[in-house]
Amino acid sequence: MRILIENFTKRFGADTVIDAMNLEVADGEMLALLGPSGCGKSTTLFAVCGLHVVDDGRILFGDEDVTGWSPQRRNVGVVFQSYALYPHMNVFDNVAFPLQVKREPGPAIRRRVSEITAMLEIEHLLERLPAHLSGGQQQRVALARALIRRPGVLLLDEPLANLDARLRLDMRSEIRRLQRETGITAILVTHDQVEAMSMCDRIAIMDRGHVHQIASPADMYRNPVSTFVAGFLGNPPIAFLSGRVRGGRFWLDGSTAGIDLPGGCEALEDGREIRLGVRPEHVRPADSGPLSGKVSFVETHGRENLYDVTLNGGQVLRSIQPVRGDIAPGQTVHCRLDTDKLLVFDREGTRL
Amino acid sequence: MTPGKWLGVLFLMPATLFVVVFFLSPVLLTAVFAFTSMSTATGVGEGGYLITPSTLHRLAERGMDRSTAESLGATTYLVNPETLSRARAAGVAAATLDELGQRHAGKSFDGRRGFERALKSLNNRPRSVRALKQAARHFETSVLNRTFGQREDLLAALAASGVRLSDEDRERLVDASYTGWTWTTDNLRRMFGTADTAQVLANTLIYVFVTLILFNTGFALVLAITTFYLPTTEAAVFRGIWFLPRITPPVLYVLLWKWFAWDTGFLSTVLGWFGVASRNWMLDTAFNAWVFVVLINGFVGASMGMIIFSSAIRAIPEPLFWASEVDGASRWQQVRRIILPQLRWPILFVTSYQTLSLLTSFEYILLATDGGPGSTTEVWSLAAYHTALNNYAGNLQYGYGAALALVLVIIGVVLSLLYLRIFNFDALVARPRIET
Ligand SMILES: Nc1ncnc2c1ncn2[C@@H]1O[C@H](COP(=O)(O)OP(=O)(O)OP(=O)(O)O)[C@@H](O)[C@H]1O
Ligand SMILES: [Mg+2]
Repeated sequence: MRILIENFTKRFGADTVIDAMNLEVADGEMLALLGPSGCGKSTTLFAVCGLHVVDDGRILFGDEDVTGWSPQRRNVGVVFQSYALYPHMNVFDNVAFPLQVKREPGPAIRRRVSEITAMLEIEHLLERLPAHLSGGQQQRVALARALIRRPGVLLLDEPLANLDARLRLDMRSEIRRLQRETGITAILVTHDQVEAMSMCDRIAIMDRGHVHQIASPADMYRNPVSTFVAGFLGNPPIAFLSGRVRGGRFWLDGSTAGIDLPGGCEALEDGREIRLGVRPEHVRPADSGPLSGKVSFVETHGRENLYDVTLNGGQVLRSIQPVRGDIAPGQTVHCRLDTDKLLVFDREGTRL
Repeated sequence: MTPGKWLGVLFLMPATLFVVVFFLSPVLLTAVFAFTSMSTATGVGEGGYLITPSTLHRLAERGMDRSTAESLGATTYLVNPETLSRARAAGVAAATLDELGQRHAGKSFDGRRGFERALKSLNNRPRSVRALKQAARHFETSVLNRTFGQREDLLAALAASGVRLSDEDRERLVDASYTGWTWTTDNLRRMFGTADTAQVLANTLIYVFVTLILFNTGFALVLAITTFYLPTTEAAVFRGIWFLPRITPPVLYVLLWKWFAWDTGFLSTVLGWFGVASRNWMLDTAFNAWVFVVLINGFVGASMGMIIFSSAIRAIPEPLFWASEVDGASRWQQVRRIILPQLRWPILFVTSYQTLSLLTSFEYILLATDGGPGSTTEVWSLAAYHTALNNYAGNLQYGYGAALALVLVIIGVVLSLLYLRIFNFDALVARPRIET
């Protein structure tokens, strides 16, 4: 079911936490709400499921305006960050709860519970209390409970935040598989860009109550609309260099090095201050060249090494390279950049 | 012992002293008194020996030959230095007394007639019949209605009066005439044997369980749950109002109820406008009295449960409420499926705690109905108080009252130990009950 958020505004007292937000999630799509802590992701989610009253704007499921509906009426499946399993009920009752409160007949409930728990591979845990489950098992129970009513919408609030790295990887693909199998429209709240990029069809990136950009992960990575978006996506993160335009080239502040700008930027007037975004994978070592600096930090990631290069003039560039032993901290190196992959932003951070 | 341990003992001293003085010793004394016949009549000190007509009656009941018993009550006339000097002091003519002394010293006369005849036969006999009868009076001796300090005094007087008793009868007499308290198990026998006890027991059960179920747990739950769903300010005001009865001085609080229920009080006045005859609504009927007893105690008792339940509800993690709402649960289902199961321990705790405190508290009933009308609202602790410390008849039966109180003490100790086991308080303190 399509979700349409129109001019959604939310205030807590005098604080306007979300200001006139617009967002559309297509039917069957999985959308990530990505943003730093406190940007209003959970608030948006709570408005969609009806736990928060909307101060202004509308929320539509399909073509139906559900703005005034109670959470009970909306038929939304939610997985909370803490899972919010009912501690005094066993797994069966936890999963069956949404059907029990609808007073569905017992046999139908049992059939549906065994169906959904089989799908999530927790059918052997039905008698257990939540306290006696591992984090991953609790996660699956919470998912089962959210899906048992066949809701039109599935909302996930940082569902993987409490899991260890290995389990997070498993659950990522598991949740995506379930979402695909059920064809449910889903919103995933996360502040982890890897999660957002690997699990979702599209990402809506938020900051302080505003949606900065909505795009597919690849698109957003390649074409961020601002330094904020560019800085949020990518690990290790992008490096920004500040400088000025002169003669159609970029001149690094505090250095005499000139860098070619990518196509489309020829028209920038001389003297304009800009920022250049350089992703680590677009920096390669060279034997010579105008751009040189000292290796200030080396971090090994196993397959790759990450190098911080402090350029002449003090700005820092990051480079990721297949593991090699010939570059050590303190060494002076020359760098070459992939010109057509460079991202150009104005002083305020807007993409040019 | 290491110095550290001594320090520990030292620190415990005040508490130990407190427990001994204010808890253990009253309990022990109650247990001791429960097996005595102490009352206002016996006093708490040592008693004397006193034979009254009712003593004679009792003796006959306890198997003394009826004529022997009656003979104890008979009056004899003794002539001895003591009676003579008594008569002299009362102004009987000296000549009469001197002659009586010479002729009949040491004699005893069984009846008035015989002694009067002896007086008449004196040369110096009293001049008028009236004087004669008056003189005779001074020689009357009887063991009846005289208090003897010691057993020996009683026996000496008995011997002097000329009554001969078998050893067995003498012991019976000593027992029956003793006015001090004695050790006895009669109190327990009486308690389990009388219909009054059954009535008081029934009253106690009604009082404790109706108040507990309707108010101390039931209404407290209703208050806690409704205030949970109210906005915070309203909830605080509401809780504050329900807390008032608890912090109002009991006398004032009950007085307000009395004003409310009096025949010229609020209720009568308002109902009077609709033509209902005014009356004392509280003491009008036994049913009304119960309604008021339960309301008065309940309004006070609900606050503790309300506070405990409220904080227990607020300790439930909020996401559980969110989850249940998006899962489609109505308010009522939320209460039944989420809140009540999480309150299992607080409910059990409040119920057991309040059972004990209701069982032992009677001050509100005492102030409100004083057990009336009749003794329809007389509960166990109030009965103990009335028996031992305050009643209309004026004969305070310390022993029996203590026996009644002892039952409460035993129930209290047993229940407390039981609760300590159930709740395993250490664990309760150590580990939160709500798991997420
Ligand atoms: N009940 C509330 N009362 C007042 N302010 C609130 C309330 N709930 C959230 N806020 C504020 O609204 C803003 C957005 O909160 P929200 O919970 O949506 O953040 P989030 O994006 O989910 O962050 P996180 O990643 O840390 O969960 C925050 O600044 C927060 O302080
Ligand atoms: Mg959040």
